[in-house]
Amino acid sequence: MDISRHLAWGEVKEHKRIYGIIIVVISLTMTSFMLENAYLNYMMQVVNDTTKIITADVIIANSDYTIRDLYGTGCELRNAGEIADRIERELPGYETSIRVTAQGTYGIGAAGEGADACSIQGIDPLDDSISDIRSKIVEGRFFKEDDPILRGHTPFYIKIRGPGSLPDFTYGTGQRLLKNEKPYPIIVGATAAKLHPSLIKVGKTLDLTISMSGRETSYAGITVKIIGLYESGTPTLDAIVWFMHVDSLREIKGYGNITGRDWYIPGVGTFRGFNPIEIDRKRGDVVLVKAPEPFYQLDPIGYSEEVKKKICSIVPNLKVFSWHDFLVYIAGSMQDVVTLMVWGSMAVTLFLCGATIKYVMDSIILRKTREIGSLKAFGARDRLIFKIFLYQGLFIGIIAGVVGIIVSVIVMNLVSWYGLSMEFIAGTQLDIGFIVNWITILVALLLPIILSVLAAAFPAKKAAGLSPVEALRKGELSL
Amino acid sequence: MSKSYDPIIRLEHVSKVYNEYGTKVLALDDISLEISRGEFVSIVGPSGCGKSTMLHCMGLLDRPSSGTIYIEGKDTSKISGKEIALFRGYRLGFVFQNYNLIPRLTVLENVMLPGLIMGKNKKDVEHRAYTLLRETGISHRADHRGIHLSGGEQQKVAIARALINNPVIVLADEPTGALDTKNSLDIMNLLSKINREKRVTFIVVSHDNNISRYGNRKILLKDGKITEDIKKKNRRKYEHT
Repeated sequence: MDISRHLAWGEVKEHKRIYGIIIVVISLTMTSFMLENAYLNYMMQVVNDTTKIITADVIIANSDYTIRDLYGTGCELRNAGEIADRIERELPGYETSIRVTAQGTYGIGAAGEGADACSIQGIDPLDDSISDIRSKIVEGRFFKEDDPILRGHTPFYIKIRGPGSLPDFTYGTGQRLLKNEKPYPIIVGATAAKLHPSLIKVGKTLDLTISMSGRETSYAGITVKIIGLYESGTPTLDAIVWFMHVDSLREIKGYGNITGRDWYIPGVGTFRGFNPIEIDRKRGDVVLVKAPEPFYQLDPIGYSEEVKKKICSIVPNLKVFSWHDFLVYIAGSMQDVVTLMVWGSMAVTLFLCGATIKYVMDSIILRKTREIGSLKAFGARDRLIFKIFLYQGLFIGIIAGVVGIIVSVIVMNLVSWYGLSMEFIAGTQLDIGFIVNWITILVALLLPIILSVLAAAFPAKKAAGLSPVEALRKGELSL
Repeated sequence: MSKSYDPIIRLEHVSKVYNEYGTKVLALDDISLEISRGEFVSIVGPSGCGKSTMLHCMGLLDRPSSGTIYIEGKDTSKISGKEIALFRGYRLGFVFQNYNLIPRLTVLENVMLPGLIMGKNKKDVEHRAYTLLRETGISHRADHRGIHLSGGEQQKVAIARALINNPVIVLADEPTGALDTKNSLDIMNLLSKINREKRVTFIVVSHDNNISRYGNRKILLKDGKITEDIKKKNRRKYEHT
């Protein structure tokens, strides 16, 4: 072993009590940082995964779209099919999915229940890799081929021309099923079922009033049958986001070739009959884009921005939202604030630890002045003295970092073994989990090392700069 | 093979002035001196006469305010800090009044320390350290920690340590200052023996005039000036009364 390392290690052992305290404080700080960071990573992962049910990596919408419209109040995206094809053509490896959305209200008039709202996302069960609702079903089932996806008729459709500059009013379908008609199948969030236990159950039918495209004041009253309940991981989203077959929503919103006879009643509007609709699968409200998995997952937000930028360059005139935009919309910058607080509290503690290391080393140097003088008399150069004290900082940092990581891994395993969870809305439980990525480990290891080496550098420089004769004269008589 | 210089140390008009709280203190006043290879020089004088300052200057631990010190013919005022450190490590050995052993190291490790500082091979240094501990009669305590030894034993370890890098000059600052009479006698006999057998130049500083009996040259310092410089023809054995 290099003599400076040997002497430094001897110093650490000699002052094991005071250095031990510093190591414990730093390692506990790093443990707390690791736990908070790993938990935050886990929460981020859960929120990311669930947010992506709505947005995938990015979502393309009309230019007049706002992020609020992602809940289902938006208007049709013209040429959705063409846009989806173009994205897949120009960005190999990218997947697209056309989605139709609507906003629903249920429970109107139900005894003992308040009316509630839901965002209805029309998904294609054959191409559900983006949302992967199939894997999130906790009760009931996913869509099947023989489900009554289409009722096989054009919904009852009234369009009343708005007087003057007011918009037209459109109302589609009937609230009650006609003879032999089956309700549209729908998958509802498990939290919603807990919130409205009498209304929402697997197998139950429900009347929904749907606002199809908010800006055109279009409504429909439909009947749905709950075929399954899902859990995404974020109970808040599960309370409001429901899933229908995309073609059901196309039919309800009239995205296709509507045939039939119109009756025009002067001064009232146009009535359309009950003829079948030919669904146009190229029509939709938004296009979801899933980017290929990045090689690294260090900065998911940065990656989503990168994807967003690429999509924006292809469709510059349309609105493009990333999942992070949506996350900020639903949770604000809460996660950023928590991250900032975690780092801030760690920085304060580490600063205090650094100051303590410096203070302790200063006092050690004062006591070891004569020893430093002796080493210089024996031929030690300033650099060697500097290294002795710098290595002490390095050893403290390495031990503190490693201990911090080990303790946090033990705590994480204990929490997982015990199965801690926290309560969310409507009594839903969310497991407390941890995701440790290598950047967290790297920070937990490198930060204390950098801190203690930096803190040791100042006293080390002071020790190295001591004049040998002054050092021999001063210091303690007894070594 | 290194060139043999004589005199091994030469001081030319060396003065040292300290500035203590704004007051100038003249510690060495125009000292000129030559010390030959193999000499055993005792520098004696009352407390504050400048003998330790002179030793520190000759040991390159301190620089004189004026004048020049030549060691092995080399003008030490013209060598850099790095070279001075190397010079101290390879050519000079130090023995201190309070032994200055590093308490957490064993006796063996303490002796090896200057060799390892100079980057020498650990096995070679260890072998030489054992040899020196045998020569100084302390090898049986090689694995003990320095602080567990008596004052006399600690000083023997310090002498072995001073010799680890085969120095040409050993500078001893009050080597018996912290010892009782019997141990002082042992240490001076040991230094004298090493001086005779290894032809290493010894410069011993002491306030105790009896120490001067050992050397073959006695330099008396007073108020930073050499007042007496006596070379003896025969070395007299130290006798304790």
